[in-house]
Amino acid sequence: MIQEFYKNINGNYELALSRMQNDERIKKYLNFFLVDESYKSLEQGMNSNDCEMAFKGAHTLKGVCQNMAFTALSTVVEQITEELRAKNIEKAKITFKKVQEEYKKVIGEINKIM
Amino acid sequence: MKEINFSFICAHLSEARKERNFIMEERNTLLIVDDVMINRELLKDIFEEGEYKLLEAADGEEAIEILEKNKEKIALIFLDLVMPKKNGLEVMHYMSLNNMIHTIPVIMITGEATVESDVKAYELGAADIIYKPFEPAVVTRRAKNIIELYKHRNFIEKELELRTQELLESRKQIENSNTFLINALSSVVEFRSLESGEHIQRVKKFTEIMLRHWRALYGEEQFTDEQIELIVNASALHDIGKIAIPDNILLKPGKLTDEEYAEMKKHTIYGCQMLEKFKQEENEFYRYCYDICRYHHERYDGRGYPDGLKGDDIPIWAQVVAIVDVYDALVSKRVYKPSFSIEETFRMIKDGECGTFSPKLLKCFDDAKEDFVKNTTKEQMGEEA
Repeated sequence: MIQEFYKNINGNYELALSRMQNDERIKKYLNFFLVDESYKSLEQGMNSNDCEMAFKGAHTLKGVCQNMAFTALSTVVEQITEELRAKNIEKAKITFKKVQEEYKKVIGEINKIM
Repeated sequence: MKEINFSFICAHLSEARKERNFIMEERNTLLIVDDVMINRELLKDIFEEGEYKLLEAADGEEAIEILEKNKEKIALIFLDLVMPKKNGLEVMHYMSLNNMIHTIPVIMITGEATVESDVKAYELGAADIIYKPFEPAVVTRRAKNIIELYKHRNFIEKELELRTQELLESRKQIENSNTFLINALSSVVEFRSLESGEHIQRVKKFTEIMLRHWRALYGEEQFTDEQIELIVNASALHDIGKIAIPDNILLKPGKLTDEEYAEMKKHTIYGCQMLEKFKQEENEFYRYCYDICRYHHERYDGRGYPDGLKGDDIPIWAQVVAIVDVYDALVSKRVYKPSFSIEETFRMIKDGECGTFSPKLLKCFDDAKEDFVKNTTKEQMGEEA
């Protein structure tokens, strides 16, 4: 089930398993991910053109995605983090669409297995 | 008074010992500082089954609060860099200011490696940096290594501190006893010669003044503070051989006959003979004592006694005690002579009316004049105070 989930979101199941030991634990973290607020902070920052706020959100989200081995989401978040670090809000806006897309996919898939 | 001090020191040391053992036994807590709950949970899971108690903080301010309450117990901190309120660098800055950074290791956790933040973290005293995502095996191994390292370091530093303290204390005790014994020994001679005990103390003082000026003037022949201390102590024994001079000569009020004078001169040899009985090879202090006893009546022109040494064959410490001895004799009032003024004494010595000394030594003597004036009392010159 969890393996299936990672496949659907283009994540790295083996890596996640090696870090979190077992499916039970991974599930616990997926639950945590649902309540994690870094995406909200990124979204709010993007909507209000607040580069700093968006950067902090993206930076945190990046760390979380890396830890969770959400490879696809992680890649686009990494990209937007660098764009926001360089204060390139226009470029970030384009990337944010991809981030939204990937994030929604992950959330949707988590909700399916819970 | 001495005993009280000593027992105080003992009590103090055993307190310090207790404290050290306490620290060694009680550091069993890990502090995890990260604003993202998922990250904290990941680290907590990694150490869940380990031997450590876990504490966590969600921002820098909370971390500092926990640190203050648990600074004796925390074995390691995992510290996130980017956090609200106070960030990781600020927490480390706080730890530096409060002397915690050397006893509590910090592992910085960071999302990416930028050279600036890495360098800054190490500069502020981070023990290590790990990058997200965490690899449990790497994290636990690094944490273990660093905790061990700091445990040893804390132990060794504490131990060293204690040893140094103990050494300093016992050294001071030994030095005090040494000085006491030397003073006692040298005052035996003075007592027997019916002199006041002050001559020895003044010779020591003037010897020290000369050596310090010598050091200031002639950098190339430096004496260390320790050497100066040894020579000053040795100078107290310069006339120790007089103990072997018969009363009828030593205490004779009038002028000595040639024969009696010849015997009197032997106090330099007698002093050395006494010292030789306790000869310590390679011992610096013995060397100074021996040289000073034997050569403090030698003259730079070779017309002194007992060996007629010439020039710089006479060790410099013996030359110093010689000039100091002459100065004190001239400037002091004795039964058989009035005192000379300091000005007159300086003139007589420089003009070679009372022995000959090397130009270098005379220059040093002149350089030290102000200090000689300060330490020459009206009492010794027989004036009304």
